[in-house]
Amino acid sequence: MSKKYGVYICTGCGIGDALDIKAICDVVEEEALPCTTHEFLCSEAGVDLIKKDIEEKGTNNLVIAACSRRVNYNTFKFDGCVVERVNLREGVVWSHPRDQFPALTEEEKEDEENFDRVQMMAEDYVRMGMARIEKVKDVEPYKLETLNKRILVIGGGITGMSAALDAAAVGYEVTIVEKEDAIGGHSAKWRKQTPVNPPYDRLIPPKAAGLIKAVEENPKIDIRTATVVARIAGEPGNFIVTLKKPGEKIEFDVPYPLPEEMRVDENGKELEHEALIEKYKEYNEGRRDILAVDPNGESFGAVILAAGWRPYEPKADEFANLGWGNADVITNYQFEELAAKGKVTRPSDGKEAKNVVFIQSPGNGTDGDFPYTGAVTSMVALKQAKYVREDYPDANAYIVYQHMRTTGLSEYLYKELQQDPGVYMTKGEVAAVESRGGSLSVDVNNTLIGEEIRINADLVVLGTGMVPVTHDDPTVNLAYRQGPGFRDNELFDRYADSNFICFPYETQRTGIYAAGCVRRGLNIEESMEDATGAALKTIQCLESVNRGVSVHPRSGDMTFPDFFFQRCTQCKRCTDECPFGAIDDDEKGTPKPNPARCRRCGTCMGACPERIINFADYSIDTIGSQVKAVQVPSEDDYDEPPFRILGLVCENDAYPALDIVGLQKKSFSADVRLIPVRCLGSVNVIWIKDALSQGMDGVFLLGCRHGDDYQCHFVKGSELASIRMKKIGDALSSLALEEERVAQFEVAIDDYDRIPQIINDFVEEVEALGPNPFKGF
Amino acid sequence: MSERFLVQPDVEFVKDLRALGGETLKKCYQCATCSVACPIAPDNKPFPRKEMIAASWGLKDKLISSPDVWLCHNCGDCSTQCPRGANPGDVMAAIRAKAIDHYAVPKSVSKAVNDPKMLPVLAVLPAIVFLVVGLGLKVFGVNWLNFSPELNAEGQIAHSNFFAHWLVDLIFIPLSIWAVAIFALALKRFVADIHANALAEGKTDKEKLELKPFLTSLVRVIPDILKHKKFSQCTENNNRATPHMMVLFSFIALAFVTGFFFIYLYGLGIHGPYNQLNPVKILANIAGIALIIGGIMLYKQRMEKTNEVSTYKDWYLLWIVVGLGVTGMLTEFTRLAGFAFLTYLLYFIHLMFVFHLFAFLPFSKLAHLVYRTVAMAHSDYSGREAKKS
Repeated sequence: MSKKYGVYICTGCGIGDALDIKAICDVVEEEALPCTTHEFLCSEAGVDLIKKDIEEKGTNNLVIAACSRRVNYNTFKFDGCVVERVNLREGVVWSHPRDQFPALTEEEKEDEENFDRVQMMAEDYVRMGMARIEKVKDVEPYKLETLNKRILVIGGGITGMSAALDAAAVGYEVTIVEKEDAIGGHSAKWRKQTPVNPPYDRLIPPKAAGLIKAVEENPKIDIRTATVVARIAGEPGNFIVTLKKPGEKIEFDVPYPLPEEMRVDENGKELEHEALIEKYKEYNEGRRDILAVDPNGESFGAVILAAGWRPYEPKADEFANLGWGNADVITNYQFEELAAKGKVTRPSDGKEAKNVVFIQSPGNGTDGDFPYTGAVTSMVALKQAKYVREDYPDANAYIVYQHMRTTGLSEYLYKELQQDPGVYMTKGEVAAVESRGGSLSVDVNNTLIGEEIRINADLVVLGTGMVPVTHDDPTVNLAYRQGPGFRDNELFDRYADSNFICFPYETQRTGIYAAGCVRRGLNIEESMEDATGAALKTIQCLESVNRGVSVHPRSGDMTFPDFFFQRCTQCKRCTDECPFGAIDDDEKGTPKPNPARCRRCGTCMGACPERIINFADYSIDTIGSQVKAVQVPSEDDYDEPPFRILGLVCENDAYPALDIVGLQKKSFSADVRLIPVRCLGSVNVIWIKDALSQGMDGVFLLGCRHGDDYQCHFVKGSELASIRMKKIGDALSSLALEEERVAQFEVAIDDYDRIPQIINDFVEEVEALGPNPFKGF
Repeated sequence: MSERFLVQPDVEFVKDLRALGGETLKKCYQCATCSVACPIAPDNKPFPRKEMIAASWGLKDKLISSPDVWLCHNCGDCSTQCPRGANPGDVMAAIRAKAIDHYAVPKSVSKAVNDPKMLPVLAVLPAIVFLVVGLGLKVFGVNWLNFSPELNAEGQIAHSNFFAHWLVDLIFIPLSIWAVAIFALALKRFVADIHANALAEGKTDKEKLELKPFLTSLVRVIPDILKHKKFSQCTENNNRATPHMMVLFSFIALAFVTGFFFIYLYGLGIHGPYNQLNPVKILANIAGIALIIGGIMLYKQRMEKTNEVSTYKDWYLLWIVVGLGVTGMLTEFTRLAGFAFLTYLLYFIHLMFVFHLFAFLPFSKLAHLVYRTVAMAHSDYSGREAKKS
């Protein structure tokens, strides 16, 4: 498609009052592009003006210099046209008000040494917009050759069954894989469960029974019991899944990446590529490589991981102060098994257990609860106390807790239990559980009763936790080069959580959504709700893959990374760094992209030292051209030329925050030029080098927080950027440039009041270093 | 390490408290808003938060012997501010009722006094006593209960011609001794218990309870009690302080009047009815009216209060108070009006009320007069400072 350009400048919202529009038009016309101005471009008249050009002149590449691209998005969206928005309103005139950045008077204009910083900024942004649009290529979406919309649900418990039913209800075929011999999960074996409906104040029969029936009767749901996943290969829309019997060893069991310690020789040096390959094969003896395709594999479009939890099993010497080891000290899970069989009795002698103490926290000088506990285990204690009271009218059930967590409406159950005259609750720290003449004594300190108390008990129940199955096993067994499980799960105590900003169910693997207790401790009501959420996410994914567009957070993005393989050096950086494991590589190390797994963050583009990875509308060249379009005045132009500082700004949080800066009329230095990027992970150091070598005085990156509490919308981007920025320091010093000229700042969307200060401080720091010596070359 | 407190919940005790107005006690989730809201709780171990959990756990011994339940004046501020509607004020009142019941012997009387079903029996009991004693004496020729009384020498109606003051004293002097004796027995245990409790719970550091300083404390708190110093710090039930004070002072005045006329009668041999201009008589009349007004006001306030539970124990005492005043005053009015039959009948009923007052005082809510005074004296003795607001 041949490009036909048009530049449109809006003079409304104060733009025309603050800027010399004529001069901006001159900038446009220097490039031999048509420049149109309008005092109200987003009005019907303004839009019609553009539409007229599209129809009559065939304009298809539009530079709209008006407000931020984050507003009036639909107004300035034209079918078949590439639109570049130049942010003159929030980014220039609102954030650089004339009372702080006065325009030149007629008199001042006479002297060529004077310059208007704000006008220069506006002109640069228009130049940058024109530079970028020239480089944007036509977008063709990536479409899979074969697309399968069948959904695989791993785990046939409450969550898995609910997710399957939800997905089937909207017409999707679902296969449930359950490792046990029957579906239903833990809760199917219980006496009762916590409430899921109003009035929320009483125990109900397990919902599992009803769900089992519904799942079994549903023609769209296929159930495979005594089955586990050996590997999941491929990409969303066409995952090739190998299933097997639990414990079976087959050639399509997923191979594991070499552990760190095996990647080095005895001197701690990284092994050569060939040696690594050898070791890898040795390590995975009997298992085919991830790229080997199982001819008998089944195709699925997306996966819900609802593999759930297993009861925490205290070690023999654990919880010594709680009498663990005594036959009458049991876990809540063991208690549930007892209660399901009939009236609650003591395991030691089978006598009635009428005085039962439920311990929710290990005590012994600590305030914490048992590992892997939370609101669910609090609710379980209430439920089990009720069992005791149901079994014996004269029974006493004591709950000793450090934290009683009853979230949402489940508090009604707590309130109800409180009313029971035989249920006693206190916050307290358990000091000791001891055997005393056939019964147990529980000593508790720091109680609400105000003293150190002793409770005589027949049975003591420890409120131990629910360990996610991903703690022990990857479960999804992904045939991905980065490994079979989700990355960084140790950040989340090995729950299959992702801290994926604001979005539960998301994992770091596209098309695979976690729900239920594998994600965090949830009660049955919450698990069912979670299942619905995850089912919707899988459907969203399937209905994006089929159109070749991205899922969250760049939902609808049609671009995908395009590799120019001839120049690939097989350095494997893209494979290693992709936050979503979208890239596999072959034995030689040549990357094999899986575009449907890709979230389009551009981290691979930022990683590639050969700069061979690009997106149609977002490439080394588009941003590079924008950088080069910035005019860097030198001493040839002015005696005291203004500084030029480049800011590469993450479009997820930092850029919106900057818009708010403008909206709130907070101001920052007019010597910075900002370029939005998809993620700081996509920042290729070449842009920084280009900026500095053309005389810019400093470069800063503004993006999301990284570390354990990361806020990066692409999980790893800002962290990778920070690593790259540390490395760039060496390159700078070899150019005799100070390391301080490049910096990265972490901000969140609500940091708009901090951002002007951050920018101004950096500008001051760079000014203190003095101008870039390369200026003017 | 100090000895551990062995928790032994008494479910029956919890049920009793719930029946006595503490129905809501299990709603408490121990936020301690009540202890903060209470204007009169001391800083050291404030109430009623700790009483609430003890009640919920059925820790009877802790509560029965607690001096703190008596320091509470049932302001109701805690109940108003309770976020869970657990009404600590009502629970404290229920605990006090259980404590009165615990310390008063014989148990059978206590049980009867606090059982609404027994009211008809108790109500006619004085009449039976009066008739049995009066008629019994007649057998021996002593006509102290004269069903056809004559006017006295001045031509006035004299109640003693109907119900001789000898008979009154024959019945009421032993009754007073009974009340005092029961209180004496109860207090012996009560004082020992509350001191042991205060010591165990760290409310005092005085190892032994010494009589002399304790009595000094008693003397020190009495003016505060008379002034209703604590009661008037309440917010919610502040309007109760005045009628309560009216009732209290009426009782004091009437006790004084009774004593005075006792001396008149037996010391000076002057028989009633006494002149309306007699200063003591004037005091008696004022006290009688104040008793009625105060009693009715308290009654009305309880009726109007929707967020407080009033139970039989509360109503019984108010009936006695109002009944005493009304029958007393009506007896006088009908006497002055010359309605002989009516005035004798009212006098008889009045004496029935007085009987209830004396006989059941140690078992009824009125016993708070004694327990609260002693508990406040003990608090003073313990050195527990009330928080400064």
